[in-house]
Amino acid sequence: MSERLPSTYAVLEQHGVDRRTFFKYCTSLAAIMGLEASMVPKVMAAMETKPRIPVIWLHGLECTCCSESFIRSSHPIAQDIVLNMISLDYDDTLQAAAGEQVEEIRKKIMKDYKGQYLLAVEGNAPTRDGGVYCMVAGQSFLDILKETAADAKAIVAWGACASYGCVQNARPNPTGAEPVHKIITNKPIINVPGCPPISEVMTGVLAYILTFDQLPELDRTGRPKMFYGQRIHDKCYRRAFFDAGQFVETWDDEGARKGWCLYKMGCRGPMTYNSCPTVKWNAGTSFPIGSGHPCIGCSEPNFWDHGPFYERMADSVPLPGIEATPDQVGKTLAVLTGAGVTAHLASYWARRAGKRVAGKPVDPENTTGEVK
Amino acid sequence: MATTYRSLEIVPGETGYGRKYVWQAPVRLAHWINALAVTALFLTGLYIANPALAPNGEAANHFVMGTVREIHFVAGYALLFGFLLRIYCFYFGNNYSRSGFPFVWRKEWWADLRAQAMQYLRLERGHVHLGHNALAGLSYTFFVIFLGWCQILTGMALYSETNPGGFWDRLTGWVIPLLGGSYMVHLWHHTIAWSFVVFTIIHLYIVFFDSHQFRNGLITSIISGYKFYQKGDLDHDRWLS
Ligand code: HEM
Ligand code: HEM
Ligand code: SF4
Repeated sequence: MSERLPSTYAVLEQHGVDRRTFFKYCTSLAAIMGLEASMVPKVMAAMETKPRIPVIWLHGLECTCCSESFIRSSHPIAQDIVLNMISLDYDDTLQAAAGEQVEEIRKKIMKDYKGQYLLAVEGNAPTRDGGVYCMVAGQSFLDILKETAADAKAIVAWGACASYGCVQNARPNPTGAEPVHKIITNKPIINVPGCPPISEVMTGVLAYILTFDQLPELDRTGRPKMFYGQRIHDKCYRRAFFDAGQFVETWDDEGARKGWCLYKMGCRGPMTYNSCPTVKWNAGTSFPIGSGHPCIGCSEPNFWDHGPFYERMADSVPLPGIEATPDQVGKTLAVLTGAGVTAHLASYWARRAGKRVAGKPVDPENTTGEVK
Repeated sequence: MATTYRSLEIVPGETGYGRKYVWQAPVRLAHWINALAVTALFLTGLYIANPALAPNGEAANHFVMGTVREIHFVAGYALLFGFLLRIYCFYFGNNYSRSGFPFVWRKEWWADLRAQAMQYLRLERGHVHLGHNALAGLSYTFFVIFLGWCQILTGMALYSETNPGGFWDRLTGWVIPLLGGSYMVHLWHHTIAWSFVVFTIIHLYIVFFDSHQFRNGLITSIISGYKFYQKGDLDHDRWLS
């Protein structure tokens, strides 16, 4: 380590934050991470003693909605996080510097904090044609990503883009965009999906890494369990209407006014893991279902390829070459099968009738034990 | 084209028919659990996919979707335990309980498959089997056993989602990322559901057709266990052992 970074508390102190505010800050952080009250001292100790984590924040093929979400963090206000908790040394969008100066900063961090810095990736890399579809400072983002990941301690993949690919790699994925884990395979990666992820989830993930010096427990798709452990559907306040069988049928019907379940309007809540119903958005103001809009499942893999947003399951069956819904395919096959057996029965009867006329038995005598 | 398995040697009585106990009680029980569970699963599944009826009034007074899902899950468990019972029969039952197995490495099996298919196409009686013929066995193996396990796996994976980290999550949760997320699991589960309609149409038709044509008490055999046979009909002993 070439130089030791100051701790978060040291920086906060410099900024004139008093001890009491610091306590509050640690308590709310612990709450966001879903920790017990008894863990607050641990969070505090970490903030006081552990050096801040240097972070390089790369932007690839993306829309910056993750950054937009991040700077709207309410609990530990973004300013505190960005400026104090982590040391955000390089971020194309938020930094003050520009041009070549900036690329030098990235190289310097990579050298000075080799193996220690956290790489935060927003967006993903197009891989087709040598990655030419996303160039930063004359270099393909694919190269930059590989180069910067090589000496990183761990990678945080922000948003649906970096985690799963999002709209860029929706079928037919013209630029060959691939999420981070498809490109970097030898580093610990934490996926924080969503389009964008909830700001409190983003800060919570960083706070956890700082506090415990390790990545939080991940689910099978690399998401932190503490924020993506349960479905929207299982924490949704409209769930009572789902169980009752009361569903909104059109945007302006009686059910919509009464706040019934949005299942039939294409709600992806039953298929989506995220914290929206509990943490909510914009300082706990609301979340899509809360304002009458079905969940679109933005924190799930390939959600753009999962059929129209406002239909429950109108996508084509998961078989190549067939562009029809499961119900269309199923009904067609059922009808064809029915036609098939009817034809068989009809020919059987026709033949039987013919034979009867000819006076022959239906079942020929069969005594030889041979199958003809 | 000759198959090598044995014709029945037991001489039918004066009427020209012999009678033999073929389907043991647990096999029959498994069949009816299976048939009822699949029917219930398909019908409740359709409602879950597209809930048509909407009760009015306070949500607290109704539990329509909740009840339908409960029936679906109970039937799902029934299907699973029916399968387990049938597996037990496969190992510890009589030879007929193994007759549906696709013996793809045996020439006799392929010959029987071809022979049976030709008999249905040519509308010939051919040789009736006391156990399952190769074609029937193949259709049970593919439609009911293979796709049935697909439904149980995907179904239990969906079921596990309400209890993350629970028993079914640890046992079947891996299915969700394998198929590309919960939506894809729903899509597969929903698509495969229709195959049971296709199977049931074919199955019922064939069972009634054969029973009518062979006059061997086929339909009642799955209730009573006994089948009738005529001289020249096929047993399964050699073909299995
Ligand atoms: C009223 C409806 C049904 C009747 C009368 C019926 C009748 C029969 C009969 C007679 C057999 C024995 C065939 C043989 O000897 O080769 C049989 C076997 C079988 N049926 Fe059905 N069936 C019905 C519904 C169903 C349904 C809905 C399913 C599942 C989707 C089903 C699945 C099977 C299976 C898997 C076997 C093989 C039995 C074994 O080896 O354990 N059946 N059925
Ligand atoms: C023959 C077997 C089965 C058939 C035909 C069947 C059919 C269906 C259908 C059509 C759906 C609606 C899918 C959708 O549109 O989202 C469904 C949902 C479901 N099934 Fe099955 N299913 C079968 C077996 C099972 C089994 C064994 C289980 C295990 C308990 C199971 C559990 C579920 C669950 C959890 C759902 C989702 C319910 C929800 O989203 O609230 N299914 N099934
Ligand atoms: S609105 Fe969506 S998430 Fe909420 S209960 Fe209905 S289907 Fe589930």
